[in-house]
Amino acid sequence: MMPDFDQSGLPQTKEWVPEAKAPVILLENVSKTYGRIHALTGITLALSGGVTGILGMNGAGKSTLFKILMGKIKPSSGQVRLFGTDPWKNPAPYARVGFVPEHEKMYDWMTAHDFISTFARLNGLTRDEAKIEADRVLDFVGLLDVAHKQIGRFSKGMRQRTKIAHALVNDPELIILDEPLQGCDPLARTTIMNVIRELGRMGRTVIVSSHILHEIERITEQIVILHYGRLLALGNLHAIREKLDNIPHRIDIGTNNPKQLAKSIIEIDSVHGIFFPKGDNLSIQTHNLGSFHSQLPKAIIESGQRVESIDNPDDDLESILGYLTGGGRM
Amino acid sequence: MATKPDTIFRALDRKAAAVTEFTMRQYRTKLSTWVVLITGFLIISLLLLFYVDGMQKEYESIDNDGDSYDWDGDGYPTGQERLYGTDPRSEDSHPGLLDPPVEPDPPEKWIDEDDFDWESTPGAGQTISVGHDDDGDCDREDRTESQKDSNDNGIPCDIVLEGPRVGMEESGFTVDADSFVDEDPDDAAYAKEAIHRASILAIGKLGFVFIIGIFVPLFLATGLIRDEMSSGTMHYMLSKPIARTEVFLYRILGYLGIVWPYLAILVFISALVTGLAGPSDSFFRFSEFGIWLSVLFAAMLATLVYGMLFCFFGVLWRYGVILAIPFAAWELGMALLSMGMPDASILRFSVIGWSLTIIDSAAMLVWPDLDLFVQMGTWGGDGDGTGLFGSSIEGAVPLSYFSSKPGLGNIGPFLSMLIASLVLIVQAAGLWLIGGLLFKGKEIE
Repeated sequence: MMPDFDQSGLPQTKEWVPEAKAPVILLENVSKTYGRIHALTGITLALSGGVTGILGMNGAGKSTLFKILMGKIKPSSGQVRLFGTDPWKNPAPYARVGFVPEHEKMYDWMTAHDFISTFARLNGLTRDEAKIEADRVLDFVGLLDVAHKQIGRFSKGMRQRTKIAHALVNDPELIILDEPLQGCDPLARTTIMNVIRELGRMGRTVIVSSHILHEIERITEQIVILHYGRLLALGNLHAIREKLDNIPHRIDIGTNNPKQLAKSIIEIDSVHGIFFPKGDNLSIQTHNLGSFHSQLPKAIIESGQRVESIDNPDDDLESILGYLTGGGRM
Repeated sequence: MATKPDTIFRALDRKAAAVTEFTMRQYRTKLSTWVVLITGFLIISLLLLFYVDGMQKEYESIDNDGDSYDWDGDGYPTGQERLYGTDPRSEDSHPGLLDPPVEPDPPEKWIDEDDFDWESTPGAGQTISVGHDDDGDCDREDRTESQKDSNDNGIPCDIVLEGPRVGMEESGFTVDADSFVDEDPDDAAYAKEAIHRASILAIGKLGFVFIIGIFVPLFLATGLIRDEMSSGTMHYMLSKPIARTEVFLYRILGYLGIVWPYLAILVFISALVTGLAGPSDSFFRFSEFGIWLSVLFAAMLATLVYGMLFCFFGVLWRYGVILAIPFAAWELGMALLSMGMPDASILRFSVIGWSLTIIDSAAMLVWPDLDLFVQMGTWGGDGDGTGLFGSSIEGAVPLSYFSSKPGLGNIGPFLSMLIASLVLIVQAAGLWLIGGLLFKGKEIE
């Protein structure tokens, strides 16, 4: 409860200049504990440029990590640097950062344009500049036509896009999105993913968290996996994937005529076995998921059968975590 | 866009004005704001209603010295008989038998016929002579010089006002009157004026500085930071390059942007009501705008300090309102104490003590005769010193309760007001510093 007198977030008398050559994000052995609970343990991470997905189950420490990066909470130990500056002590780097919080609560009484232009002024824009900037970012996320409607009337996807637009004000170099796809319908998901990919192409450093592997996979290949507050894996999703591909995988296909479909599918090299658990369902085992997926569409067309669903129950975060931690379901 | 020079105003227009404006708009969208403001309005309206009712009431004029009675039944009131030297107790002696005969006065003429003639207030260590025997019942020919000068100051038929001893200025002055001088004042006029002044002070001190001053900030300022933290919306503001102490300050500015105009409107309404309904020869009591301005000023500073404090309580603890309740009780105690003992040093450890000093100072300036006026009423025309006729006049007790001298010693009203204002501003700045530091060290989930 004691105030942290060490912190010196006074209004800056001189312009804040980011440290040259410093990585956008630098975490050195960062830990955060709440009493006995270890929310983060010894995270060391440096990121600059590109889109990075932070994967982890609920409670893995994704939001804690973001809050530390955003200077909302203080790490129990270790060093955090945003553009070379400690965000807990100095809010100046936020001029170059956009943050999309996970909280659903927004100012429902404001219009999207109002919300963004009001907060844009905290970036040091004047009233007029802020309005122009709000138009720009709302256009970027495709909400310009509803810019003057109240946020309270927005759908979940529109609210998320409004939050993203808010984070894009002042064209930040680093954009942090905490579960931006959660609760969105498929169309909104696609739009938001496109926006994130576009930001990556524009050369921004983007960090997206999610607990759903497919979502991250559609956005980026560069991932960080958090598990119980520890950094479990870091790198290219495909590299991790390949390792996974060589162990048996199950794929469930829903169809009217499973036996007809099975005839075509058995032709695929990588198929290891086929089972018929229910009347309108077939279950396939494969050693090489990538190869199987590339040949599956052709086999389905050849069989001429209607496929209602393709489900990949093993291909989720839990399986990867299970594999990486050496236990698990595989 | 960026070609315009970056003046201080333009720089402020960005962060400060943005947060301030945002906060004000946010208040306007909340139902609770309107409930609080309307409740405050109703409380002040109720107090004003009591006041107007008090002004409408007819105060009974008392014949304090009893000389409107015609004891002997000869048709001449006692006062008139005494004036002409006839015997008020004998039917066979009255001014109608004089040559030329005198017509009897109506008894009303001998009510309130000897009003106060007190022109100046004695300073510390001073003794002055005031009063005039308007009805001539002191300075009668049949009375001896020693009867006429019962207070033994060498001047017949006067009143001696003795100032407080030097160094004991708070004790007020004493009244020592010759018999039958100023013994039948105009009670009705006095009561109306006294109740008018007492009401202004009561509404200003308790209505504005205490009730509005504490409860409006309690409901409006406690959640300024706390509500944003608990709902998670604080993240939008804090993910911008803005220091948390700045957020704290600008949120308070937004709160003041709602509360100060609101206070100004309420005070203006009160000033209009008391200006129109108050006893006056002219249409409106313009001179009392001064005291209302001081009420506004005191209430503005009080809401500033309380706002900072309650906002700080909100940051300190989710249930900051609970901390505010004992504090409000303390302030009420200090408010009541300041009316009785304005110079009690414990008042310096409160907010309200300093705020009320501002109003008391202004009262001294607007009503220079206030002290004298209170003394007149509590003395009440006790002309012969027997306590037979005189007792305090209606309105004098409430007025003496609600008015007090600015308790900062004998430094004059201007300096008292200045010191009190500065102390309140320093209190607010200190609370901002503490609250800002606490907020800065706060982890926001």
